[in-house]
Amino acid sequence: MNDRITFEDVSKFYGEILGVNRVNLSIPPGITSLVGPNGSGKTTLMNLMTGLVRPTRGQVQVLGYKTDDPEHLFRIVGYSTQFDAFPKGLTGFQFVYSYLRLAGRDAQSSEQLAWRALERVDLTDAATRNIAAYSKGMRQRIRLAQALSHDPKVLVLDEPLNGLDPLARSEMIGVFRAAAAQGCYVIISSHILHEVDVISDQVILLSNGYVVAEGPIRSVRSEIQEHPTQILIRCDRPRELAGKMIEDAHTIEVSIHPDGRGLLLKTRDADRFYLALNQIALNGIEIESVVPADDDVLSVYGYLIGNEEVVR
Amino acid sequence: MMSVWWPQIKAVIRLELKKTFLAKRGLWIYLVAALPVLLFIAYAVATSNQHSRSARVARRNEKPLTYQDLLAAKAGMTREEVAAILGKPSLMLHWAENRPMGPQTALHVLHEEYRYSDGANDLFVELADGKVEAIHIREAYNLGQDSIMFAGVFQFFFLRLAVFFGCLGVFMNLFRGEILDRSLHFYFLAPIRREVLMAGKFVAGLLATCTIFVTSTLLQTAAFVWHFPPGARDLYLYHNHGLEHAAMYVGVTVLACIGYGAFFLIAGMLFRNPIVPTAAILIWEAVNPFLPAVLKQISVIYYLKSLCPVDIPSAPGTPALLALLISNPDPVSVPVAVLGIVMVALVALYVSSIQVRRMEINYTSE
Repeated sequence: MNDRITFEDVSKFYGEILGVNRVNLSIPPGITSLVGPNGSGKTTLMNLMTGLVRPTRGQVQVLGYKTDDPEHLFRIVGYSTQFDAFPKGLTGFQFVYSYLRLAGRDAQSSEQLAWRALERVDLTDAATRNIAAYSKGMRQRIRLAQALSHDPKVLVLDEPLNGLDPLARSEMIGVFRAAAAQGCYVIISSHILHEVDVISDQVILLSNGYVVAEGPIRSVRSEIQEHPTQILIRCDRPRELAGKMIEDAHTIEVSIHPDGRGLLLKTRDADRFYLALNQIALNGIEIESVVPADDDVLSVYGYLIGNEEVVR
Repeated sequence: MMSVWWPQIKAVIRLELKKTFLAKRGLWIYLVAALPVLLFIAYAVATSNQHSRSARVARRNEKPLTYQDLLAAKAGMTREEVAAILGKPSLMLHWAENRPMGPQTALHVLHEEYRYSDGANDLFVELADGKVEAIHIREAYNLGQDSIMFAGVFQFFFLRLAVFFGCLGVFMNLFRGEILDRSLHFYFLAPIRREVLMAGKFVAGLLATCTIFVTSTLLQTAAFVWHFPPGARDLYLYHNHGLEHAAMYVGVTVLACIGYGAFFLIAGMLFRNPIVPTAAILIWEAVNPFLPAVLKQISVIYYLKSLCPVDIPSAPGTPALLALLISNPDPVSVPVAVLGIVMVALVALYVSSIQVRRMEINYTSE
């Protein structure tokens, strides 16, 4: 059995409107984030990999299963959609329980799995209330509970952190990480880029229906040659360090950090920079920390789509 | 695979039945199912009142009368001959008429109307100048006429309108309603074959419509026989095919739900606007008698008409086109009719199963 989620030359058009075009992807286990503004094709990609829409061209497979085979596909896939509508008249428990019964499970195991899923999203207290009375965050969590309920190998989560308070977000991120640590494929789309940045093993950057980059975020950043690398250096004597660094031929720009306790440097050759910095450190300037300042999702996305205002 | 599919179908049925029976948007279906029942209840109440009046008239008769006594009165008899047979009437009306005979002359005519009753059937005797001119008998019940009336209501209101639109309301919403509510993805995200999902929804729709409309058919039958005197009721039910007819009406109702249900299931998948397929199916069913033999068979009403136990005769003078709509000139045998509906439904379900596999979730385009 294939161990990847694969898109082979996949295009999807809604009439004459482009959903995604010529997508080729091979998604490994771990947390993969789909990043892009509204209309970039994130939800279309998720709907394609769950068979809710069919590709106009190309083929999608999830761990070897075709997406037009829901009977087998959804035994390994759980999808928390963005659709904020539920079958009428169901309580939170009934919503998850019914889903498990639809899978053909017996009443007892469905009940056990439903309660376990509700516990994972901290909704046991509200389980017997009608979903129509839930807040937006609770509706988000009940969708997550449904997606998680059958312990799927692949979790597809469309904007799963929307509507959640900071504590719930943190808890949910913990759930995603735990799933990824167990070898699951967790596909997340989110507008909350700094949170995606923290949890993602790899990212897929989308713009106007096209995949503009994919892979681990740092390797994506290193492939962008036309933009100099930004590095933040914390040290005790930033002005003196700035004077020394500007002498390096590959340094393009140096500026003192607004808080006066470090400097921000742009270089075309990060490797040479690190060698030079080692030399300087030997000469008595105490370096507290050296961190890349623009290899986060937001910056990379800004570089790729040509909107540098996105970059801090 | 059935070991997996059957629990899945049951799960779909559980969810769908609750929605179908309790949906606010489906309350009108109960109303159309109840309308013929209310009609027969009203008829039974009116007939019972009539019986009470007849009983009161009979109590005032000079002597007890039987139905045979009432039939003994004939046109041309004199007032005295009538009184000799039936006694003094319990109700009598009279009035005088000046019937013009020429420019200056008029004939004075004394009109009388006598009413007799045996307690159930009423006899109206019209006399002019002491001679019987006309006789009317109003029977308490007439099994033949009442059966035709029931058949007429069943065929032309219940089957063609109530069951037709009831099935539209239930089956069309199985998928279309979910799309409008934006909740169809809930089913499409479960590990269930789309065809199994469709089968589950169809069976749920069938259970719901059969429960509603078979109940209506049984209540109509109960209301229909309610006004019969006990002896007549037993005669109708046990010796005059009453129970057999009732069973056939129930069977026809079930087959109508199967046939129309299958049509509207696929219509709900193919069309966004229900008016278009509804009008098309309604017209197709209405013009069925005028279609060529091959096309007639792709219809539900063609088979249902053959299964109805009572033929409705056209009244003399009915226009030929209307007579063709009322009558069933080329009925098919019961096995062929049942098989025909099942085949039509299976073809519709097969097309639905292809369509359901192609369905995508794209609520924004709806």
